[in-house]
Amino acid sequence: MSDKFSATRRQMLKGAGAAGLAAAASLVPSGHAAAKRRGRKKAKAPKWAMVFDLRRCVGCRACTVACKAEYDVPLGVWNTVVNEEMVGRYPDTRKPCLPIRCNHCAGNRTDGVPPCVKNCPEYPKQRQKYITPDGKKIRYRDGATYKRPDGLILLKNEYCTGCGKCITACPYGARAFNKHLKAGKDTSKNGIAKCSSCAHRIDKGVVPACVNICPGRARVFGDLNDKNSEVAKLVKEFKLKEKRDKTTLLPKKDTVPMNFYIDPDKVLKTKMAKKVYKEDSFKCKVN
Amino acid sequence: MKKITRRDLIKLGIASGVVLATSGIFKGNALAGAIKLAAGNMDFSPKTGAERKMIPSACWACNTRDAMVGYMENGRLVKLEGQLDSIRGLGKLCSKGGAGINQLYDPGRILYPMKRAGKRGEGKWKRVSWEEALTELAGRLKKLRDDGHPEKFMFHYGRMEASTRKMVKDIFLKTYGTGTIGNDTSLCESAKWTGQELTWGKHYDNWDFDNTKFVLNFGASPLEAHSNAIPLLQRLVDAMVERKVKCVTFDVRLSNTAARSTEWVPIKPGTDGAVALAMCKEIMDAGLYDKEFFKFIKATPNPAASTDEKAAALKKHLASYTPEWAEKISNVPAAKIKSLALEFAKTKPACVINYRGTAAHYNGTENERAIQMLAAITGNIDNPGGRCRAVTPEWQYPEGPKDKPEAKKLDILDGFPDTVVYPTHHVSHQVLDMIKAGKWGRPDIYMWYCYNPVYSNGNCKTNTDIMKDESLIPYSVCVNAYYDESAALADLILPNPSYLEWWDWEDGPSATQVPEYYIRQPFVKPLGESRDFKDVVCDLAEKMGFPLGFKSAEEFVKLSCDQTPGVKEAGGFEHMKKQGVWHDPKAKPDYYMYKIEVKAEDLKKDGVVFDEVTGVYWDSKKSKNPDAGYTKAKNAYEGYVGQKIGDKVYKGFYPDRVNKSGYFELYSELLKIKGQQSLPTYTPIPEHEKMGAGDLILTTYKVPVQGASRTANCKWLTEMYHDNPAKINPKTAKELGIKSGNKIKITSTVGEITTTAQVTQGIVPGIVAVSHHLGHWEYGRYASGKKAPMATDNDPGLKEKWWKTYGVHPNWVISNSPAPVSGQNRFMDTVCKVTKA
Repeated sequence: MSDKFSATRRQMLKGAGAAGLAAAASLVPSGHAAAKRRGRKKAKAPKWAMVFDLRRCVGCRACTVACKAEYDVPLGVWNTVVNEEMVGRYPDTRKPCLPIRCNHCAGNRTDGVPPCVKNCPEYPKQRQKYITPDGKKIRYRDGATYKRPDGLILLKNEYCTGCGKCITACPYGARAFNKHLKAGKDTSKNGIAKCSSCAHRIDKGVVPACVNICPGRARVFGDLNDKNSEVAKLVKEFKLKEKRDKTTLLPKKDTVPMNFYIDPDKVLKTKMAKKVYKEDSFKCKVN
Repeated sequence: MKKITRRDLIKLGIASGVVLATSGIFKGNALAGAIKLAAGNMDFSPKTGAERKMIPSACWACNTRDAMVGYMENGRLVKLEGQLDSIRGLGKLCSKGGAGINQLYDPGRILYPMKRAGKRGEGKWKRVSWEEALTELAGRLKKLRDDGHPEKFMFHYGRMEASTRKMVKDIFLKTYGTGTIGNDTSLCESAKWTGQELTWGKHYDNWDFDNTKFVLNFGASPLEAHSNAIPLLQRLVDAMVERKVKCVTFDVRLSNTAARSTEWVPIKPGTDGAVALAMCKEIMDAGLYDKEFFKFIKATPNPAASTDEKAAALKKHLASYTPEWAEKISNVPAAKIKSLALEFAKTKPACVINYRGTAAHYNGTENERAIQMLAAITGNIDNPGGRCRAVTPEWQYPEGPKDKPEAKKLDILDGFPDTVVYPTHHVSHQVLDMIKAGKWGRPDIYMWYCYNPVYSNGNCKTNTDIMKDESLIPYSVCVNAYYDESAALADLILPNPSYLEWWDWEDGPSATQVPEYYIRQPFVKPLGESRDFKDVVCDLAEKMGFPLGFKSAEEFVKLSCDQTPGVKEAGGFEHMKKQGVWHDPKAKPDYYMYKIEVKAEDLKKDGVVFDEVTGVYWDSKKSKNPDAGYTKAKNAYEGYVGQKIGDKVYKGFYPDRVNKSGYFELYSELLKIKGQQSLPTYTPIPEHEKMGAGDLILTTYKVPVQGASRTANCKWLTEMYHDNPAKINPKTAKELGIKSGNKIKITSTVGEITTTAQVTQGIVPGIVAVSHHLGHWEYGRYASGKKAPMATDNDPGLKEKWWKTYGVHPNWVISNSPAPVSGQNRFMDTVCKVTKA
């Protein structure tokens, strides 16, 4: 996995990447100088978040297919889908769309551990080091399901027993067995399929596949610690964090999702948004 | 200092990202905070982290033909996404585009030439070599040609655009000498195109969402399915969200566009023209028309009429089209019509859009003309933010052998005699019926390409019977990658690759009025022995003794890139292979092109004459009977030079397929001489006037995750959409005693289908809606549950496939019925009965 590697920011700047970085720094007001400033402070990982702008989702499902291709997701399983629901009475009918994926929950406000990780019998496991953008190290424990310091909820199949406890623990139904994958510790069972937020792409500096393809640009992904990121600006503009109870799914579950919704039409009040884990919440169905 | 745009940032993101990714130095976690994540155009394996090799190309999953890129891993194409450097697609792709991978690796692919071994349609096939297949075919073709009957070779294509059309139609078929060439536009939106050719000359309208302030939509669904979907979708969303542009949608169904619009206004099928005309009346009466644009409008027979005279003529014509009248016809409240009319006229610029919801009707061309009028009287034509004549790139290409005989053709392309007045895009759905009738000749060889005549035309039963009958069609050849309903009835199948294995230059319309040049290049070599049909025609021509001057599609595309101005200077073929796209960064958007004045010397050229009746300057040598005058002379439009307006001569709204003047013609002499209404008029749909108790109107539509008839073999799409229950409004369902989930029978004059009812608030009462995509009885296991005779089992999806329903196809109950002006098949007009099954 990429988080085993270590390379400092300084090494990076010495290399061929420097030109690109310098160019970026001149436009995006942080870059090298900001890295230096942060160097004096405590190591700080990015804080990845996704904003779904529901004004922009047209229900095209390009995201769903991009994800299928990116991961070769088996038929019958989806890591991200768009639900839709007919509301109102003719002729005042509307059909809102609700894109969903793993919420990459921060975990409840007391212990900061999301339910999937909490219920995973193969967590915690080994000590790992997370290298921050400015070259600092943050230690954490991995597991079959674990939270990385940048907030991503990831899988390490080599530990996985295929017990499925994380599947039932997730109140959103964001996890399923992966028919293309044998569980690392028990090959009679399947491993888990779920959204990784395209960690392998983020770690190489490119947005998740669903964000890349989204024709309506309804999916915005970035680092909340970077005030200049589009995602941070949207979170600020629409007070998505302050109004968490109205901008995230199933707030009463106290999972503290890192997926936020810009939702002027109150799509999060529809039945599809309120339904607690059901088998079909991540089954993509087009009406 | 130059202002930094969002687009610059995206580009920069890519640049820095690419350096990091490829330098091999950066192996840590992402660069948070300081560096913006790149938007795309690089990808990595989730398993190994290795970068996937990127190849630029172009999509073909629908007619949009978006520029895209694909990623390779272990020699396989694994992923497709939009091309960030494209000014049309801006790096976006849709679900059908993304699922193109499934087209390439469809286990049902036809990989070898196949010859029928049993009875036609029996499903028995023998694999043959290309040499055998082409020797036989070339022998038959050559004989017809040598006998002086090239017209007995009929070639019928569905989608064939850009370089494929040039190579196959304009070079190969033209040099061969047949003019018996059919298309499928009359199944799509030919009524719309004919309406445009009669008004502003050349078909295809671009909607300038980037600059508009108001969008009025009659029956189009650019957020769901459209022939320029991805370029338009994102711009409409941007306009609505970023600039708070209001969008009002008239539709019989709560389409995804209607659902996302500021307002959905339900309307009775086929009555959009009435609403548009009533709006025109309100605008004219309120004096809100654009006097400047009226200079270019023709509204009376007199080409020198003043603006006041034209306005008076229109007011007189529109007098009876009151909003109250329109309300009775359309069920749209008169007050709504009035307020929208005034808002549309007062908001500058505003863009009126429409598509198959208005086109696929008896009165489709009239609907188009009424909507064109709405745009014209408010001056929203060819202007920033309005409805613009589309701009496409002007590729230069090798034109093949100089010696091209005058084409001979069978008169089976434009419908039965005296049924259609201006079949400017042919009447393809009548071809099989005309072959059956026999009076106008029958092709000895019927070959089709990217077309599924049995399934895509109305009345599937008749189509099947005719295609099966060897006495009507003695020899049939199918060019296809997939075993669809028509391939199953062929005598010879030539295995085409998927579009991800062939070359093209492409010419999709721009959304910004700046043309974009782009190419399609193969990601992998054609699978099995499949061969691009463009390469095959080079061989066939050689075998018949008229080599085309190039050996392959790749060579044709190379020669085109290396001779097209702009592309050539940018580096030609090598540049295009590497970058995929090119546009002139200095090009200004093409607006107001009609205002260009014709040079005085062009009017003095040999043969150019002035036509008093129309005010048109034209080269009379282009016609065989110039004395008939511009309007009536054969193909006079080919000699059009300019339109005299006042004391100037303008390029104007030049004609493309009919002898119209250079005015924006609201008044059409061409329609008048054919006994049609000269000014845009509302014509009720005859069958809808005679509907009895319990009769419903069947309407059809598309969903965003399937593309017409050609994607049901894509597992990632069909697992999302494999059933299409019939949608019925609760009021109508109650009257019929039908509930959601009931088995129902839809019966029309041509047949019946059995399906399930879905009672929904998202549709107008009195109709039943069935989508077009499903109900395949071939096309492989994902589409129909049926394995193609030559299919393999080499796709893991076959074991994972979980759906067992395949939906229904509405064309079993829709007839082949041409609209009187254009010949468009009336897909939205069918009157039917719905009963419990």
